[in-house]
Amino acid sequence: MTLTFLLIEDDEIERLKFERVLQKNKYPHKLIKAENGEEALHILECKEECPDVIFLDLNMPKMNGIEFLRILKSDPRLKYTPAIILSTSNNHNDLKECYETGIAGYIVKPLKYEDYAHKVKCLIDYWSVNELIVK
Amino acid sequence: MNNENIEILKRALQRQKNARKQAEKILEEKSKELYDITQELKTANQKLKDLVDVKKTELQGVFDNLVDAYVLMDIAGNVIEMNHAAVALFGYNISEEKLNVVKLIYKEDYQYAMVSFQQLITKGSFTDYKARVYTKHNGIRSVHINASIIKDKNEKIIGAQGIVRDITEQLKQQQIFEEQKAQLSVIVENSSLGIVLTQFGKIIQTNKAFQNLLGYNKEELLNLEVKDISLKEEYAKSADFLEKLNVGQVNKFSVNKRYLKKDGGFFWAKTNVAAVRNTDGNINYQVALIEDITEQLESEKQRDILVKNLEKSNKELNDYAHIVSHDLKSPLRSMNALITWLKEDYADVLDENANDSLNMLLKKVDKMDHLIAGILKYSSIGQTEESKNTITLQEVVTDIIDVIHIPNHIKVNITSSLPTIKGDKFRLQQLFQNLISNAVKYNDKEKGIVKISCEDDQQFWLFSIEDNGPGIPKKYHEKIFQIFQTLDQTIESTGIGLSIVKKIVDLYNGKIWVESEENIGTTFYFTLKKQ
Repeated sequence: MTLTFLLIEDDEIERLKFERVLQKNKYPHKLIKAENGEEALHILECKEECPDVIFLDLNMPKMNGIEFLRILKSDPRLKYTPAIILSTSNNHNDLKECYETGIAGYIVKPLKYEDYAHKVKCLIDYWSVNELIVK
Repeated sequence: MNNENIEILKRALQRQKNARKQAEKILEEKSKELYDITQELKTANQKLKDLVDVKKTELQGVFDNLVDAYVLMDIAGNVIEMNHAAVALFGYNISEEKLNVVKLIYKEDYQYAMVSFQQLITKGSFTDYKARVYTKHNGIRSVHINASIIKDKNEKIIGAQGIVRDITEQLKQQQIFEEQKAQLSVIVENSSLGIVLTQFGKIIQTNKAFQNLLGYNKEELLNLEVKDISLKEEYAKSADFLEKLNVGQVNKFSVNKRYLKKDGGFFWAKTNVAAVRNTDGNINYQVALIEDITEQLESEKQRDILVKNLEKSNKELNDYAHIVSHDLKSPLRSMNALITWLKEDYADVLDENANDSLNMLLKKVDKMDHLIAGILKYSSIGQTEESKNTITLQEVVTDIIDVIHIPNHIKVNITSSLPTIKGDKFRLQQLFQNLISNAVKYNDKEKGIVKISCEDDQQFWLFSIEDNGPGIPKKYHEKIFQIFQTLDQTIESTGIGLSIVKKIVDLYNGKIWVESEENIGTTFYFTLKKQ
């Protein structure tokens, strides 16, 4: 099954990392990239490109991850899209706030790329076998 | 003598006879009357005599039973009569010895006594004479005397009588009372608390502190009511309390209110009001103690602001550490990824040198990441409110020994049972884990030994973690607890572990120190306050 992912991440290398994991594992999934929350919302407004899963960085300039998440979860159409946080913070308050708002996962970015690649692969494999709401 | 004459004479004689008869009869009647009257008089006299006797007995009774001493004396001052009370007071028995009142007068009061005696003679009496007297058995007593002179029917002075009351005790009580009153007023006057006595809202007594606080003098305050020196909007509140006081719901209350000063300004004062009740439970007075808390409130306000600022900057600092460390973490991740890709993508063109350099680069990145993680950990201690649970340290430490990596040649033992204390499990775990893993990690002996023990030290628990490792040179004994100070250059030693330990010990009001001998071993001691 080919999924469409939306990656919202301001750091270019982080975006490259995610892409590389997809490429190296030869996943057929489609990746849409957004550099910040505003851009992501703009993408989501165009109904033809609706992602199956959203990967979201927390620390971003302008609209941060939590703010984007709130908007997402208050939208009657988009609120069913699973959102997974990718963050360097394992801060208790951040975690709590995210789970309260409604997330489908929270990944702390490890230092080593190999560890990162492993975690993202697990995620993609997991969502590949999940049933998702078809829009 | 002719018949006519005879007849005249006869008639005259007859008249005389009749008159005599009449006179005799009158005489007889008068005599009887006289007799009767005499009899009556006799009876009356007897009655009168009886009456006098009765009165005299009555008087004697009164005289004897009089609570006050009664003294009758002649004009020379010789005592003629004394009642029981007088005998008891003065101790003299005049049937046995003569007594002149002059003998009784206290030396220093003599002048006064003479003046009073003079007044007695000239005016016939004196009252409220107060002086001291000598008594036979009771020492010097203070007495109060009312006296008057006694005259015979010719208005001649024949003596004087005096009613004497022993007021020694009364004076003593009064003196004690005055003394206590003086003491009390010294306290009241010198009190730094303003004190005011009120009755039905009117001010009836104030002390100096109260006058100074308000800037009014004593007399001005007496013309004021409580509401005159209260702020209108606050008076209602006090009035509520006063009402409760009046109906007996409460006996005292405390309120912080403002007082209006004479100059129009005001000050904040803590006011304690108590009811002074009479025996019926009704309120006689309210007494209020007033403490100027303007400065106190001001400093409280200052303190609140400081605390708030401190909280704010503390939070900012923590947020700062949080944000900065995450901002620093991201580039490290990028660096790691890029180096890894270089190695992966150019594996066939990189020589050994290049690979070594890249690996060293990765290690530096790793070290940097450890440092940042350490800063985060350090700054998070004390940031959130620590939970206070009952923690069984025996269990916690046993778990740590199970979990951390301990090479086979090192033995970690708990040598005395560890206590159960109140605290935050995570922090205590961090504390013990950092110390134990240090002791294990740096142990350089063939048979490494780490001992953990605890003893009761009054208000504290004294813990020790002893190892037979390389030891720490004396010059570092203080330094090792400072952040970023490490004696080791490996990746994991960031110089944060012991500073975290110190911060946690500080949090539990304890102390930490180290005793060590190079090549022999090191013992870390620390105390945790009980409760």
